[in-house]
Parts: sequence; C-alpha cells; structure tokens
Amino acid sequence: MRDDMKQIALYGKGGIGKSTTSANLSAALGETGLDILQIGCDPKHDSTRMLMHGAWIPTVLDLVRARGDAGIAMDEVVFRGYAGVRCVEAGGPEPGIGCAGRGIIATFQLLERLGALDGDVIVYDVLGDVVCGGFAMPMREGYAEEVYLITSGELMSLYAANNIAKAIARLSKRSKRTCALAGVICNAKNMEGEEELVREFASRINSTMVAYIPRSRTVTLSELNRQTVMEYAPESEQAGVYRRLAGDIMKNNRTSIPTPLETDELEELAIKFTQV
Amino acid sequence: MNSKNSQSNSLRYEGCTLTGALSVTTQVQDAVTVIHGPAGCTHHNFSLLHAIAAEQDDIRLPPLVPTALGESEIIFGGEEALAGTLRRVADEGPAAIFVLSTCITETIGDDVLSVCARDHGLPVIPVPTAGFLGGVFSDGLNAALTTLAGLAGNEGVGERTVTVIGEKNLEFEVEENFAEVERLLGLLGVRVGVRFVRKMRFADFSRLGLSSLNILRDPALGPVGEALKRRFGTPYIDSFPIGLEGGVAFLGEAGAILGIDPERAVEAETAQQAEMLSSFADMRGAAVSPDPLTLGSLEYAPVRRVMASLDLKADTGGAGLPLPYSPPVGTAGIRRLLHRWRRRTHA
Repeated sequence: MRDDMKQIALYGKGGIGKSTTSANLSAALGETGLDILQIGCDPKHDSTRMLMHGAWIPTVLDLVRARGDAGIAMDEVVFRGYAGVRCVEAGGPEPGIGCAGRGIIATFQLLERLGALDGDVIVYDVLGDVVCGGFAMPMREGYAEEVYLITSGELMSLYAANNIAKAIARLSKRSKRTCALAGVICNAKNMEGEEELVREFASRINSTMVAYIPRSRTVTLSELNRQTVMEYAPESEQAGVYRRLAGDIMKNNRTSIPTPLETDELEELAIKFTQV
Repeated sequence: MNSKNSQSNSLRYEGCTLTGALSVTTQVQDAVTVIHGPAGCTHHNFSLLHAIAAEQDDIRLPPLVPTALGESEIIFGGEEALAGTLRRVADEGPAAIFVLSTCITETIGDDVLSVCARDHGLPVIPVPTAGFLGGVFSDGLNAALTTLAGLAGNEGVGERTVTVIGEKNLEFEVEENFAEVERLLGLLGVRVGVRFVRKMRFADFSRLGLSSLNILRDPALGPVGEALKRRFGTPYIDSFPIGLEGGVAFLGEAGAILGIDPERAVEAETAQQAEMLSSFADMRGAAVSPDPLTLGSLEYAPVRRVMASLDLKADTGGAGLPLPYSPPVGTAGIRRLLHRWRRRTHA
C-alpha cells in the first residue's frame, strides 16, 4: 500500500444518500485523472451501481460462496466504471443468517491479498445502522483513515451519525490509533434550519461540516437514467457541489477525535432548530 | 482478528456446556455426537474426554465428529455443513446421532433444530447447549440428561431392576462409587439394570421406564428424577449414599420403596462398617488437617463423624490432607479416604 494513498470512508444511516454521495465523489475525483477505488460495504450491494450504469456487478462474497476464496482473480471482483473508477461490492450472506460483519473482514483480506487496495484514493461506502465489530472493521484495521459522517437534519439520521462517532471515539482510545473523524457532510432533505442544525451538531461533536449538499431533482433524474450526476448532468449546479466536495476532501487534512453527544443533548439540539 | 483478551473474559470457572453434555452423550456407546461449530470446540473436549477415560482404564476414543466450520460457513451460515456432516455420519451406521451447538452457531443463527428434524434414516437428537453462550458445565450436563430422559420408554417386560442416574463420568472414582451402590443393592438382593448414562447402548433407553427405582447421583439431578417419576411413576432416591450413616439409611430407604425388609442387610452393613473402622484403630488420636472449608460444609458431615469416632483431631496447621472432590460414597468411600490419610500421616 502506498504511503500517500488517501483512504476515506463514508458512514451514515441507511437511505441517507451514502451511495449517491460516494459514487458522485468518486466520479468527481476520477474526472480529475486520479486513480479511484470505491468499495461498497453493504450487503445490499448497490453502492457502485450508478458508476456501472445500472449494472449489478458480482459481489466478492457471492464468488467466495460459490467457489471458496482461493481461485478468485482481481478482474472477477474489480470492475471499471465511469471516469475510470474501479468498483468493488463486498456483498453479504442471505438476510437473516450468518455474519455479514465477518464477511466484510473476509472481503478486505481477499482484496489485500489480490493487491487490489491501491490507487490515489480509496472510497469506502459503509452502512452505519449496524456498528458491529465487522462493519467497524474498515476503521479498526486502519483501512479507513479519514471517516466522514453523512447525515441530514432528521433526528434519526443524526442519531446514527452520533453512534458512529461513538465507535470512532472508542477506537481512537486504542494504543494504536487507526482512524479519525475528518468531517460531517450534510446531505439535505431541505428542512428548515437544516444546514445550521448539522453545522451545530458537527461542532458539538468536535468536528466541522465540510459540505452542504442540497436536495436536487437532478440526482433523481440522473439515477433514473442509471448514471451519476457527474456523468448525466456535468454542467448542473449539483455536479458543481460534488466537484467542490471532492476538492475540499482532497485538501482536507484536519481530523479530530469526536466527542459524541448523549441522547437528550441530541434531541434538545434537534428541537432547537426545528420550526414548530 | 478479534484480539480482545481481557482478564474478565478469560476467567471462567464453571466450564462450557459442551463438556457437560459430552460427559453424558459420549457414554452412549453405539451413538455418535456431532459438535456443530469450529474444529477447536471438538478438539479441546476430545482431548479432555480421552484423557479422563484413559485414567479410568477405558481406551475407547470418544465418538465425536465436528462440523468444523470455517470462515465461509460463519459468514454464510453453517446449516448445510451440519446437514453434510449428518449425512456422512449416518452412512457409518450408528444407532443415533446427538447434535450439540456451540457459541458460534448460536451467534450466526443456524437453525439446528430444523436440520435435525429432516429425515436422516436414524434418530438425530439435538441437545440444547450453545457452548459458553448456553451456560456452564452443569447446564450442559442437565440438558443432556433431560433430553435423553425424553427418549425413555417402557417397552417389554423385564426383571425388576434399579436404574442409576447421572453418574459423574468425569470423576476419578466413578467406577468405585458405582460399585459401592451396586454392593449395597446386592445386600437387598436387587440388581442394577441401566446406568443412565454410562457405558450404555441406545436401545437401552427404551426400557428406562421399566425401572422400579431410580437412584440419582446427587440432589442436583432432582428435575431428571421428577420427570421420570411423572412419566412412569418411578420413585427415586435423590443421592448416592454419603458416608457410613448414608449407607445404612440408603438400605432402609431402598428397602421401603421396593418392599424388601432391610433388617438383615442393615445388620450386615453395620458389622462391616465396624470392622472397617477397627482396621484403622492405629490412627486413633492422630492429628489430620483436611481443608477446613470443605470439611466444614454440610455435605461433609459424615466425614466429621468418622473423624470423631476415630478420635482424629482436625489440625489447622501443617500440610492439608486431601478430601475427595465430592463427598465419599458409602463405607468403601470412607475406607479409601482413611487409607489415603493413613499413608500421609505415616509418611
């Protein structure tokens, strides 16, 4: 692994827009000529779909299940999508059985063995509703050095982000520090006072809001056309937002150890910014 | 990957349910026990059971087979691995298969019961264990005895015999303790039929309900005794006889239940006890120092009475003398204890 490689992870509540943001971020980075690897770490395996023009690529764990992990080659699990972004989906067991977290660990070990974990930037797109040891693994084992929390102004989404902040705080107490919080991204629902609320939340947990992504019809249209915004509407305002996010993330070298909130603090904060 | 090894997690005094359950199921000599989990769970128990059996002059290898789950079964679920192992074991033609689950299969949510319920062409009997998650050694032991007691039938007519229940298969003196119970019953003219569960055959379960008296190894097995009493009306004695007075009381109790006058048996036993004690007359007045905590407990009262009758003084100083892990069974148990003490005091 190269020393100057940037490894970032986007964690957040399910349905909050992690995959959309990750894919557009990867695309924006890829357009600048950087070598990008995006890894979807969610059994739903839809992280890279828009980069792949709607195709469902085979997941690492589907192949492991069918054939064991010995004879798997790099080109069977890594697929090139829009802007040259290399796409991987971890996948998972059938819902309701086995251990998806353990599957994430196995996927990373396999990718490492294949030498796939390289390039200028790796973007990990990780579900944040479950912060079990397996899903925290990209942070714990030093893959995801910079963690970005994605949240809207909705309480449940802030609650999930706060929970992930707890995991980062816990992991940073270890003798060998492996990850840190790099910032909070507000993926807006267009609620009143949302930007201020998320900005305040970020500062309360000892971080900063690095981007405000407004809700936009362009995203919906792009995805209906099975493309990222960067590809479908490169001149749109929304594409500009993602380009700025990509630039800011590349420049960002400020990280912190988060100070997660107690539940009542969080609720109090949400009430303060909500218009009644 | 998981490197958590804090003290609080590594200290555990009461063992794993697997060991308890296996101490029972591996005594069904024509059945095989499948451990559904990583190979390590089987390896560890196999070594322990084999070493103890060898101490007891039993050179059979414990009939254990692991499903030996690896990384991919843990990620995707281990039910098919279990089904495959059951097929392979069934092909070997055992009388039955017992299936024990481990921490890991419980955690990943394998439905062991439904895999066992498929048609395998022979009885496949799940024993609820779940490794450390399921509790401790004694929970596994009780679960195995309770499950196996559920297989009991009352087929055929047989001679009136007594059943011994829940012998401690891992204790050093297991055969000696059984021999003492068998000897006492012999004084009443009664024979032991089934040893539930020690060195038995699967078919023996079908006549468990014919027993005219069940004798539990110790009172902790009460629920098993009760279950068999409810189903077959079999009365039970809740413990092996402890010490000299225990032996005499046992003869009275068994005699009363079986409708046998115990008078002559009690007379013979009392005479034998007096003779045994007199053979240790040379120890009279000696100072011994058994572990005071164990000696002071209620169940060791018979040992304290023997010490009083031989005028042995409890000396708190000096090297501790060994007391058996479980209280001595009958006259023979006391004799072995005194014999060991004499060797130590003369040494």
